[in-house]
Amino acid sequence: MLLPFRSYLRLGLTLASAALLISSCELLEFSPNDVRAPDAQRDLTRQNLERLAQQPNPTGGDTLRFAFTADSQRYYDELDPLVSSLNQQRNLALVIVGGDISDFGLGREMRWVNGKLKQLRVPYFTVIGNHDHVGNGRAAYQEIFGPLNYSFTYAGTRFILTDTNGREYGFNGQVPNVPWLQQQLADTVGVRRQVAICHVPPFDGDFDPSLTTSYARALAAAPRLVFNLSGHIDKFGVSQPYNDNVTYISGYSVEQRQYLLLTLWGDKEYKLESIAY
Amino acid sequence: MKHLLLFVGLLVTWISSSAQAQSDTPTPRRWYVPQHAVLQTAGGIGLVAGGAGYTLGSKRRWDVDALVGYVPGKYTGGRAFSIFTLKGTYAPFCLPVQTRWQVQPLTLGLLTNYTPSAMLNRSRDDKYPYKNYYWWSSTVRLGVFLGGRVGRELPVSQDGRARMVSAYYELGTNDLYAVSLLPNTKGLSLGQILTLGLGVKVDF
Repeated sequence: MLLPFRSYLRLGLTLASAALLISSCELLEFSPNDVRAPDAQRDLTRQNLERLAQQPNPTGGDTLRFAFTADSQRYYDELDPLVSSLNQQRNLALVIVGGDISDFGLGREMRWVNGKLKQLRVPYFTVIGNHDHVGNGRAAYQEIFGPLNYSFTYAGTRFILTDTNGREYGFNGQVPNVPWLQQQLADTVGVRRQVAICHVPPFDGDFDPSLTTSYARALAAAPRLVFNLSGHIDKFGVSQPYNDNVTYISGYSVEQRQYLLLTLWGDKEYKLESIAY
Repeated sequence: MKHLLLFVGLLVTWISSSAQAQSDTPTPRRWYVPQHAVLQTAGGIGLVAGGAGYTLGSKRRWDVDALVGYVPGKYTGGRAFSIFTLKGTYAPFCLPVQTRWQVQPLTLGLLTNYTPSAMLNRSRDDKYPYKNYYWWSSTVRLGVFLGGRVGRELPVSQDGRARMVSAYYELGTNDLYAVSLLPNTKGLSLGQILTLGLGVKVDF
C-alpha cells in the first residue's frame, strides 16, 4: 500500500501545482463565488479612468455628453444592440452603468458584461447595485471593477458614484456613506458641475430609511449639482421628490432597450434624451 | 491553509488506517468503508477538493462521492471557502485497453454543494422584506457535467480486492450559469458557462 499511496500523494501534489500554474485558465473555476480574473478583466474602474484621462472631450468645448444605462443583470442578448447604439452617438465621452451589473453577484457574470461593454468606443463606469452584493458579489465587484464609492472629474464635471444598497447591509446606518458623499461634493476645485450617481434612489424601500434625509440634504446643499441618477426601479422618471430643487432621474434598465443620453453645458443646463435600441 | 492541512492530515490517517485494516484482517470490508478516495481541482468545488466514495450497481457503473473543497482567501477576496460536495457519476461504458488499463470514454454526472462561508451574503437573509426577494440560494449550487476517465490497475490487495488508480476530467456548469445562458442565445455561448474539473481517484 505504501507505494500506491505515495504515488497518490505525488499525483495530488502534481495536480495542485498544475492547477496553480494554469489558474489563469477561466475554465478551471474553483468556485462560482471566487473572485479570480485575468489582469485585463480586473480593476476596470482604474483602467477606464486611465483611458478617460487620455481622451479629450469629444465636443471640444464646455459641453459634455454621456449615456446612462442600468440593470444589465442577465440581459446579455440586449448588450450587443446597446453597445452598437452607443457607439453611433456623436460626441459621447463616457457611459455610466447604474448598478446590478450581475444578477447573482458572481464574478463571471460581471466579466461577461465587461466582455460586451469593452467593445464601447468610450470608457464606461459602474456603480454597485444590490444584486452585485449577493453571495460573494461585493468582493467580486471590488476585484473586477474597483471601489464601491468613488468619484472622478472630467470636462469640469465631477461624477460621484455611491453605494446606496443599504438593505444589503441590513440597514446598518452606514450605507450610503453620507460623510464621504458630503466630502466629495464639497471638493469643488476645478469643478463646474456635479453629478451624483447611485443604484437605489433615496425614495425606494431598499434605501436605508435612516439615511434618506441626510442623503437628500447632502445633495440639496451641494453647490453645483445638476442631478442625481439612479437605476434599480426599472422605470424612467424625472422628479423633485423632496421639493428642494434637486432633480432625481431614474434611468431605464437594459431589458427595456432604452438608455438616457445626457448633454450638459453651462452650470446646470442639460438636455435629456431617451434612446431606444 | 489551516483547513487544508487538517483535511490532508485526516485523509492520510484514514488511508493509512484502511491500508492497515486490509493487511491485518483479510475479512470482507464492512459496508460503510469507502471503496475509493478522490482528489480534484477546480470544477467549481475548490482549488483542491478531496474525499471518498462508493462504486454502486451490479455493473459498478455508478460512483457516489463526498468531497470537501478548499479555496484559499487569495481567490475569495477575503477568507477561505470550504465547499462540501456530493457527486454522482454514471459511466455507461468501460473499455478495457491492453491488460492493465481501462477507459471510461463518457461519464455523466450531477452534483450539489454547499459553501457555508461567512463571506457570502445570504440571499435568504432576514434583511430582505419578503420571501424570494432573491429566488436562488447563494450558498447551495447544483451542477451537471460530462467527462471521461482513464484508469490503470494496481496489484490486487492481499485480500484479493482489485485496485486501480485513475485520472478524470469533468466539463460542466452550474444552475446559475445555465439560467444565464437559457434566455440569452445570442448574447452568451455555451463555452462561456463551462467549467473544467480534473481529478484522480484511487479504488482500493
